[in-house]
Amino acid sequence: MGTKTLMRFTGVGGQGVLLAGEIFAAAKIKTGGHGLKTATYTSQVRGGPTVVDIQLDDEEIYYPYANDGEIGFMLSVANVSYNSFKDGVQEGGTIVVDPNLVHPTDEDRKKWKIHEIPIITIAKEEVGNVITQSVVALAIANTMMNAIDKETLIATMLSKVPPKVHAANIKAYDLGEKYAREAMAK
Amino acid sequence: MSQTREVISSGNHLAALAGADAGCRFMGGYPITPSSEVIEQMSDLLPARGGVTIQMEDEIAAVAAAIGAGMAGHRTMTATSGPGISLKAENLGLAQMTEVPLVVINVMRGGPSTGLPTRVSQGDVRQAKNPSHGDYRSITLCAGNLAECYTEVVRAFNLADRFMQPVFVLLDETIGHMHGKAIIPTEEAVQAGIVPRKSFDGAPEDYHPYECEPDQPAVLNKMFTGYRYHFTGLHHDKNGFPTEEIETCRKLIQRLEDKVMMHTDELELNEEFMLDDMTGAEGEVLIIAYGSVALSAKEAIRHLRAAGIKAGLFRPITLWPSPADSIKKYTDMIKNVLCVELNIRQYTEEVERVSSRLDIEGLYKVNGRPISPYEIVNKVKEVF
Repeated sequence: MGTKTLMRFTGVGGQGVLLAGEIFAAAKIKTGGHGLKTATYTSQVRGGPTVVDIQLDDEEIYYPYANDGEIGFMLSVANVSYNSFKDGVQEGGTIVVDPNLVHPTDEDRKKWKIHEIPIITIAKEEVGNVITQSVVALAIANTMMNAIDKETLIATMLSKVPPKVHAANIKAYDLGEKYAREAMAK
Repeated sequence: MSQTREVISSGNHLAALAGADAGCRFMGGYPITPSSEVIEQMSDLLPARGGVTIQMEDEIAAVAAAIGAGMAGHRTMTATSGPGISLKAENLGLAQMTEVPLVVINVMRGGPSTGLPTRVSQGDVRQAKNPSHGDYRSITLCAGNLAECYTEVVRAFNLADRFMQPVFVLLDETIGHMHGKAIIPTEEAVQAGIVPRKSFDGAPEDYHPYECEPDQPAVLNKMFTGYRYHFTGLHHDKNGFPTEEIETCRKLIQRLEDKVMMHTDELELNEEFMLDDMTGAEGEVLIIAYGSVALSAKEAIRHLRAAGIKAGLFRPITLWPSPADSIKKYTDMIKNVLCVELNIRQYTEEVERVSSRLDIEGLYKVNGRPISPYEIVNKVKEVF
């Protein structure tokens, strides 16, 4: 099971993290592998902590959730979710947070590689559409984890959004990739 | 031509697609987490195929509408979660008594009462066996992976028409919402496998829908085709009219029992995972699990085998009636038996009953969280 990639996206209900997970899983399946997305949310649909686990593997995946302590990458855009779900990330793993919304402790910074990228500001101000934050997040995750062939991922993403916002989402992907590369170079 | 297709979808969407492909043309529903995507999807699928999806004012009306469509002769379904089944229970009893075929999908969440709406559970397994009062035999299927959210719903429609009664399909929040790849039959293959419910084509005056062999279901002709009969939840005679005649009452209820229990061979379906090399030798471990928990059990078995512990999974897909002989065969052969459930002993008690063993170990969780493979591995190492 050495080819497994485990990622976790966390936020609050309504931010679109579910869709990002579906795009990852679908893109992996298109390349002939196995992909599975599971989401956990609370009955408080908007504003409740949401977590999406994404497993990508060349072998068949049985258990659909990421086992705690095995997650290599987490992205978080809400402090409540960050605190609830960070412990699933393996020591030394990568965590990307939106610094305007998530505030890691000094201890966290010792335990994990934490990158700060203002995901929501990028979507809102540079792309011009806050909904594209999930695609910015998708690009960041894929750039850092090198999980899926970029063209396949973008094609899958575009198949799941209306044509009128294709250009905005491509822009969001490119910006996410750019910020991820800058963060990794630091 | 290939009989299968690869799809990327969720369990709830696959369950809806299965209904549409299996010829369901009416859904009466009322949305409830975590089943809502089923009615949402059916509201797209059925109108496009000449059918109707209607959101009624509550769960009771939803199942009543679905039963009405079944009485009229259509393939029909409803979908809900545990609290919805509680509300539908009375009408499910009516469908059992009147022998109206119907598929009921229950995407299980934490209970009792409104419980944990967005969290996984298998707390409705016992409820599915007897949701309503009186004597009848529930047919309950349980999907254990994405593909089965499709294939078990298709099977449920065929069994409902064969046995002329409601058939439950249990999903759970995990299976209903997980999203990934499934290999499922083509729509053509599904339609080729449909056996419509029996009908009577003789003279209308010779038609007696409830006069049938003691192990066979009623023969209910489509309404508005010139054959007249009566529906009632009361004990009824060969034409469906109320009666208290002693032998008629006895035979009716005995027939509801026997039409299912004398044909369990048509119902039983199990998965045996890594059981083929079991010999009954000391140290072997039999895990019994169903639904999403079986996914965790399979991964646990991979880890256990890697650690030198010979473990295998028996997974009932038809939960009710239980696969008594198969469970007995494996529990006679293998000493170390562990039942893993997202409830407290709901199926373990059935395993105890059919195996005549009271030393079955159990791992249970009822806080709305899934059971991880490591918890199963640790439990096996702890108790055996």
